[in-house]
Amino acid sequence: MRKVLAFLLTGLVLYGVYWFAATRLFDEGSYRKQVAFGSVFVPYGWAYALGFLLLLVLLVLLYSVGYTALTNRLQGRRRSPWPLFLQGITHLFLWVLILLVYYPVVQVVAASFDPTNNLFSFRRPDTGFLILDAKVIPYLPQPSLENYAKLVEGVILYPYQLGLLLLAGLALLGVGGIGLMRRLLPEEDWMGFWQGRLLLLMALSVFALALTLSPDQFTGQGTETKFLLWVRNTFLISGLTGLLAVLLTATAGYAFARFRHLPGRYPLLLFFIFVQMFPGFLALVAIYYLLSWLNLLNTFTGLVLAYSGGIISFGTWVYKGYLESISPSLEEAAMVDGATKWQVFTKILLPLSAPMFVFIFLLQFVGTYSEFVLANLVLTGVESWNVGVGLRSFTTGQFQTKWGIFAAASVLGSLPILFLFYGFQQYFVSGYTAGAVKE
Amino acid sequence: MGGFILRTMRHPPGIKGFLLALLLLLSLLLLSTGVGLFTFFLLEPHLDLPGWTILLVAFLVLVPGAVAVGRLFPWLTDWYYFLPALAFLLVFTLYPIGLTVYLAFTDYSGQKNNFPDRSTETAVVKQEGVRLLLEEPVAEALRCDPCQGEPVEVYAEGHRMRARILEAQGAELLLDRAPPFQAEFVAKVNAFRFVGFKNFAFILSQANQALFPVFAWNVVFATATVLLNALLGLILGLILNNRALKLRNFYRTLLIISWALPGVITVQVWVALLNYNFGAINRLLGVLGVYPIPWLNDPDWAKVAILLVNLWLGFPYMMTATLGALSTIPDELYEAARVDGATPWQALWGITLPLLEKPMVPILLSSFAFNFNNFYIIYLLTGGGPAQEGRLATAQATDILISWAYKTAFSAEGQSAYGLGAAISLIIFAITVAISLVNFRVTGALREVR
Repeated sequence: MRKVLAFLLTGLVLYGVYWFAATRLFDEGSYRKQVAFGSVFVPYGWAYALGFLLLLVLLVLLYSVGYTALTNRLQGRRRSPWPLFLQGITHLFLWVLILLVYYPVVQVVAASFDPTNNLFSFRRPDTGFLILDAKVIPYLPQPSLENYAKLVEGVILYPYQLGLLLLAGLALLGVGGIGLMRRLLPEEDWMGFWQGRLLLLMALSVFALALTLSPDQFTGQGTETKFLLWVRNTFLISGLTGLLAVLLTATAGYAFARFRHLPGRYPLLLFFIFVQMFPGFLALVAIYYLLSWLNLLNTFTGLVLAYSGGIISFGTWVYKGYLESISPSLEEAAMVDGATKWQVFTKILLPLSAPMFVFIFLLQFVGTYSEFVLANLVLTGVESWNVGVGLRSFTTGQFQTKWGIFAAASVLGSLPILFLFYGFQQYFVSGYTAGAVKE
Repeated sequence: MGGFILRTMRHPPGIKGFLLALLLLLSLLLLSTGVGLFTFFLLEPHLDLPGWTILLVAFLVLVPGAVAVGRLFPWLTDWYYFLPALAFLLVFTLYPIGLTVYLAFTDYSGQKNNFPDRSTETAVVKQEGVRLLLEEPVAEALRCDPCQGEPVEVYAEGHRMRARILEAQGAELLLDRAPPFQAEFVAKVNAFRFVGFKNFAFILSQANQALFPVFAWNVVFATATVLLNALLGLILGLILNNRALKLRNFYRTLLIISWALPGVITVQVWVALLNYNFGAINRLLGVLGVYPIPWLNDPDWAKVAILLVNLWLGFPYMMTATLGALSTIPDELYEAARVDGATPWQALWGITLPLLEKPMVPILLSSFAFNFNNFYIIYLLTGGGPAQEGRLATAQATDILISWAYKTAFSAEGQSAYGLGAAISLIIFAITVAISLVNFRVTGALREVR
């Protein structure tokens, strides 16, 4: 019965998609058979592409048949070539997918090195190579760092700030190096310890740098020269929001997980959960009103406070789930020995909870890093913008002219998040699954 | 004495205990806020304090207050662990929500924003107590008819006061209170009013132009996104879970890229890539012999573009979730199946997929809830457009509920109708709660907690 229902439903959905494509997507009004001005059109190009793909499949087939025949003869065994072929096809599929997935990334990185805005011009390059002429692959006649140079124009760094920057860079190198060693060499005790210390050092020096930088040091003309200032603002705002999120959720998560004797714990939890379902940023007017009343408009404090309301419920819920996965036997033993609840929390549970705190911090940091709706409302004036608002200003203004700068700023602006994500991948994965998956 | 302390150490049981604790906590919070407000208004005329001193004073009162109350009722100290989060939620989440709910029943908007209307500014010629003589007839100068009951602002250099008009005759004006200073100008205040369910009635009366089509597309969008992402995520998860596959960790790390990049950047990059004339996607299609597609200019193609970009953005999460769920399936099951002579295909349909259902359903449901209110992709990619005939200006072809609400309240097309936007927010809230209730019912997440 269930199977029949699933079958019917799939059929219905497929028919719906077909109907939509036939009558809406490819009707006269939507889809005109007309080549865009300045683009290269190859009739039946898809047939060539398909042929090329088939050729690759054939090559994989030939390789796997040949390779198995050879090893079979050498080792005197009889093995089928099909598993090898299947694996080759899988690799081919994954590489095609990777090409598709990375296509936007490649375009942006290429555009950031292109001062001539080639991507947005009708000019057709004449190299004789079809894919390059069609600008399917980015055409970079003279790559330069001009776009990046515009972003740092007129930025003055004091010597001690350069020192801090250097320190952060070295610490990052050290963290990466130890990470590589942990992968390649057998694990030793000092590795984890020093990696943690270096990471802390890096975070502290970046924070110190962000604190000591001032708007006066950005003397360039034009909004784009303030980009690094926006990055610094974002680091301050998001870092503080992350810290506040951890501070606010820790005790509540502990109480929800362990104080099962409290009457009313359940309704309180429901309150925490349901209050979060209100589309928070639609309360913009109210938040604006509140902040203006507290004289916190156009301050980072105001934005940090407004952001922090958003994570409390989720953070508490996740941390509660994490604590529940830890056996309470250790705490009970400590309680028997006369420890108070506060001692149990600070001495036993806090050290154990570091991974979850890192997750909550990162989640809030990444989540607010590129937020621009609330920031746009609260932060007025170019000098106090964050990255999200700044990047938005490049594209909502004269888009075509600033595309190169937008690309350069995107590349630079993505790097911190990229590092954080790949550096703490296991935290993100385990944190999300702890929040969502229940055994 | 010892017995007395022991008795107060125990938490009063049941609903009575809960309410008692809640009452104590809330009165603590309210009391400290009240002291903060009181101190502020007491000192403000003399010291020119910033508004946040209220929070500071409230905090300084709250801490010793909590300690003192903790001495009196030792059982209450357990609740103090909730206090930081609770106080924050009340001030920065619940208060704005409450205000938004209130605004939903008013006609608060860009025009009716409770500020004096400078274009009605009129000089006061003479003032005697509550009686003002203006330089022009009142009804024309202040553009009010009838003028009775209209709020006005009376001001002079360094002074201002709000009042209501009691009576107006010719150029003479009678206020309900006398300004304590020599008034120089009068202006009408664009007051907003309580309008009851008018906003909701408006939404329902225009439902064919906004609510119904927007809601339908919202549901289709969330469902299709979840299905597409889950399908690609499932396929990739199954492929990458195969231990025999070389480089599988490398592939997983590479493919996760779109999750690792800030969405606000990548979506704007996609806007450029999907451009009709210049976009790299249409150029690629041209080389493949496909005519250019109006990705962001056609109401139907824009929907397809949103789904595709959201697939690009969202499949790494689904892939990771599938891999996590697959790792919980024990290997022995597959070994047993192989011993029994099952083909890999049979193992897939008989073991893997049925066992994936339980851990994946909550993930799919929460993903649905997330995408239902996925404002950023719509706003950044299409801005809700392109325009479609027969719709409100704020609810175009790809608008979902939340972007409709946003545009109603904060954009020029919506004429900053905050009250109406707040009403739509309430509808969204109701729908989100309903989805979550279904989610909790299916997954049993809340039953376990209890």
